[in-house]
Amino acid sequence: MTTHEELLARQAAWQKSRQALSWPEKIRQAERLRSSIEAIRKERWRQLRRDLPGSRNDEQAVLT
Amino acid sequence: MKEVAELLNDMRKAGVVTDYALFGAAAQMRYTEAVATLDADVLIVVPEPDRLDVLEPIYAYCHDRGYTPEDEAVRVGAWPVQFVPVFSPLTKEAVSRADTAEFEGTPLRVVGAGYLAVIALSVGRAKDFARVLALVESGAVTRDDIGALAARHGLAGAWSRFTRRFLDDNP
Repeated sequence: MTTHEELLARQAAWQKSRQALSWPEKIRQAERLRSSIEAIRKERWRQLRRDLPGSRNDEQAVLT
Repeated sequence: MKEVAELLNDMRKAGVVTDYALFGAAAQMRYTEAVATLDADVLIVVPEPDRLDVLEPIYAYCHDRGYTPEDEAVRVGAWPVQFVPVFSPLTKEAVSRADTAEFEGTPLRVVGAGYLAVIALSVGRAKDFARVLALVESGAVTRDDIGALAARHGLAGAWSRFTRRFLDDNP
C-alpha cells in the first residue's frame, strides 16, 4: 500500500467511525460547526467594515 | 434539536400544521457523518395551503411561544428553523411517509433516506448532489431505490444524468 493509499484508508475508516455516532451526537457536532462558521463570518464582516474607505478604524464602527 | 422537536410536536397537536418532517442536512445526518449547516429545514403541511400568507399562523404560534424570526427562519434554541410548506407531490409524499425517529427521548418526524436523496436530486445544486452521494455511500439507500422513486416523480432523466456524471465507472 502506498502512503497515499494508507492515508485514504485511514481517512475512510475515520469517516466511518464518525458516521456510526448517534444522531444526537452528530447534531451536536453540527451545532459546534455552525458556531465556528458564524464566528468566522462575523470576523470577516468586521474586517470588511474596517477596510472600507472612510470607515472608522475601531471596534465601535462595526457595532453601529 | 430537542426543543425544535417539542415545538413541532406541539404545533401539530395545536393544528397549526397538519404534519411536518425534518429534511435537509439535519435529517441527512441520521445516515451520514455530521455536515456543516446553518439551519434546520422542516417540511410542513398546513391546513390552509392556499392562503397567501401561508406561514403567518406558524410565525404567530412561534411568537407566542417566545421564538423570534431571524432572517428567513425562526430561532428555536440553538437552531434557526426554516419552515417550508410542501411544494410538490414528492415533498407531500416525503412528509406522509416520514419516519418517527426519537431525539433524546422526544419523537421527531424525519424524511427518510430515499426521499432525502430524490428531493436533493430535484433541487440540483452542488451541495444537493453531494447529499445524494453521501446517502448512497452510507448504504442508507440503494441506487435502485432512488431510481425507482425518481422515476415515479418524473425525475428519471435527472437521475440518469446524475448516475452518468457521478456514479458510473465509465467516463
